[in-house]
Amino acid sequence: MGRNRISFLSLAVAGVLVTVHPARADEYADVDKLFGTGHLAEAVQRADVYLASNPRDARMRFLKGLMLSEQGRTNEAVAVFTKLTEDFPDLPEPYNNLAVIYNKQGQYDQARRALESAIRTNPSYATAYENLGDVYAKLASQAYARALQMDGTNNAKLSPKLAMIRELFSPQSIILAAAAPRVTTGKPAAPAPAVAAPSPATPPVATKPPVVAAAPASAPTPSPTLAAPSAADAADARAAVQAWANAWSRKDMAAYFAAYTKDFSGGKTRKAWEDERRKRIVGKRSISVVLTDFDTKVHGDKAVVQFRQAYTADALKVSSRKTLNLVRVSGQWLIQKESTGT
Amino acid sequence: MRRSRLAAGPCFLPRCITLLLIVTFGLCANAASRGQASASSRVVKAPVQKPKALPEARLIEVYRSLRAGDSRKALADAESLARDVPNFQLAQLVYGDLLLVRQGKAAGLAAAPPEMAASAAAQWNQLRQEATLRVAALTERPPADSVPRQFLDIPASTQHVMAVDASRARLYVFENGAHGMKLVADYYVSLGRYGVDKKAEGDQRTPLGAYFVTSRLEGGQLKDFYGPGALPLNYPNEYDRRRGKTGGGIWLHGVPPENFARTPQSTDGCVVLSNADFLPLLHTVLPRRTPIVIASKLEWVSVASLGGDRSAARALVEQWRQARSGQDLKKLLSFYSPQFSSGTVDLATWSKRLEKEMSAGRGRETELKELSILSWRDTGDVLIVTFGEVRKDERSGRMKRQYWGKENGQWKIFFEGVIG
Repeated sequence: MGRNRISFLSLAVAGVLVTVHPARADEYADVDKLFGTGHLAEAVQRADVYLASNPRDARMRFLKGLMLSEQGRTNEAVAVFTKLTEDFPDLPEPYNNLAVIYNKQGQYDQARRALESAIRTNPSYATAYENLGDVYAKLASQAYARALQMDGTNNAKLSPKLAMIRELFSPQSIILAAAAPRVTTGKPAAPAPAVAAPSPATPPVATKPPVVAAAPASAPTPSPTLAAPSAADAADARAAVQAWANAWSRKDMAAYFAAYTKDFSGGKTRKAWEDERRKRIVGKRSISVVLTDFDTKVHGDKAVVQFRQAYTADALKVSSRKTLNLVRVSGQWLIQKESTGT
Repeated sequence: MRRSRLAAGPCFLPRCITLLLIVTFGLCANAASRGQASASSRVVKAPVQKPKALPEARLIEVYRSLRAGDSRKALADAESLARDVPNFQLAQLVYGDLLLVRQGKAAGLAAAPPEMAASAAAQWNQLRQEATLRVAALTERPPADSVPRQFLDIPASTQHVMAVDASRARLYVFENGAHGMKLVADYYVSLGRYGVDKKAEGDQRTPLGAYFVTSRLEGGQLKDFYGPGALPLNYPNEYDRRRGKTGGGIWLHGVPPENFARTPQSTDGCVVLSNADFLPLLHTVLPRRTPIVIASKLEWVSVASLGGDRSAARALVEQWRQARSGQDLKKLLSFYSPQFSSGTVDLATWSKRLEKEMSAGRGRETELKELSILSWRDTGDVLIVTFGEVRKDERSGRMKRQYWGKENGQWKIFFEGVIG
């Protein structure tokens, strides 16, 4: 799903950055790495230094917002994200993260408004939708508690767990923006995503989804002798993906998790990832995941399966391209990497 | 079971919307026009300035938007209402419903957190009932220029008249004057936990009958429970006493500050209003003079069609007045029932008193001022007649009340006494 961090795509974006402003990309990667390894204070400091000379850089500011939030410097984080929504009103991510903070503070009405802005900005933004669904449910639960004068229940005090977006240019928004550019000021030659126009400091994002970076397209053509088994392998890999979608649809968490490699963690800890997925999936009344337009490539014990995923959960409908990188372990195809986009 | 009602409903909404909304919708057919009528008719005294719509009117507006298919506005209005009047439980319920519906989820108790559902089903049903009643009361309005048939004769000096329709959980307030009665406001009310027709102390029912406000109790004299104050009623009245009804302390009152309103059947027998609705009543309604009828279902009649009954009742009282003015004790006594009593006084003692008064009157005319006649019919037929009795050439008299009952086709006075 869109919430998972897509390293190859960000790499692709970073790749573009490298060619344009190598120093900047390095700086961002460094700060992100410090952040990822828990060196928060240092990371924030580096970000501040960088921002002193590049005050409009949206990605770095966004990253700083995340770090401040992580540090518990909530008011400062709110200020950073709020300013981002003002400077880049077309970006859904800062709204989403503002909502996550408001939600944590129990300010559900404000969280709701921020998420609605995120969705207005990007109507297909799945994370914001899911977060909004949770906030609606929380508000409804609160309203019901007041209706029944049961305000004091413990349940009423628990905030729902909303998902922060970790990456400003999340793959989904890039894809969607590329597919339907919202900013008309963009030059025809480079249909920039929503984020590009307002910020001169922000480098243009790759015009085309970086398919190349995702799949080993340069893989050598399988030799004729391998063709037959490979076709069978492709069918197997595809069947594994279909089984994964089916488990997801019927909310069978055991089967769903079993479709992934043991060390798959969605960019978090395995437990955090499982908890989040469980909450997202089991909490739905109904889920339907329908996969079409398969494109399967197998190379030895690795496979890349691309498809269009029509995801429907309660009122939410999102259709997106998705890529699963599979690896064969003991004869079973397991998901090693999950990414939105192609 | 909920599903089947949904399917049967005349409704075009997604079927995921709750029974609460649906029921209300079915009744909402004319709410658009009615809601407005009611909103504009809800000021007891001339408004100082145009007030923000009352919470109930705002709630009805939510339903109206929903009906018009504007769920976005419905949600926005419900949200602001729930924010402005957070203790309006029904508004919270509707807001919760709309949030869930917006998500495509089924609204309703099933969506509430489980620990809520388990303990709150009764409360939930009461709130749903409240929604139905509120919308119905604003949808099905009393016919124009009509009054409850119990108000047979109301003198111009009585400024307000009130009537409760238990079937609608509604209190109707009339202004009265030289040009007669005019419906000026109506309010949602909560009644007895076990309904109406109070018979005994502790039965947690609201009495049915024709009563008067006896006094005004300001909030400071009372526990928070009663809100800004209370208007006690004279239950049990003389008719109730004859029929062995017991209990007392039936008041109109408000709600504690933490509440906006109470559910339809939630009182020990009192008639309870939200504070915003009750405050103007508390301060405009005059104790002792203000009648209030509480009926299981009000019967509305045109003022003109009351004329016949009014003339007959007036003629009856006039005959008594003439006998009272004259010197024929036997004739005067013929108006009184063998079952007459007034406090500890029985008919024999009462006769002696009448005789004494007759001789003291020396044939001077008795005049009746500010005559009021209420009619009450259930299994019996009663007239409650109130007037100021003044002997000619005397400067002042006394307020008296008589209860007349129909006995073998004849109207007889079974109680007479001085009030307050």
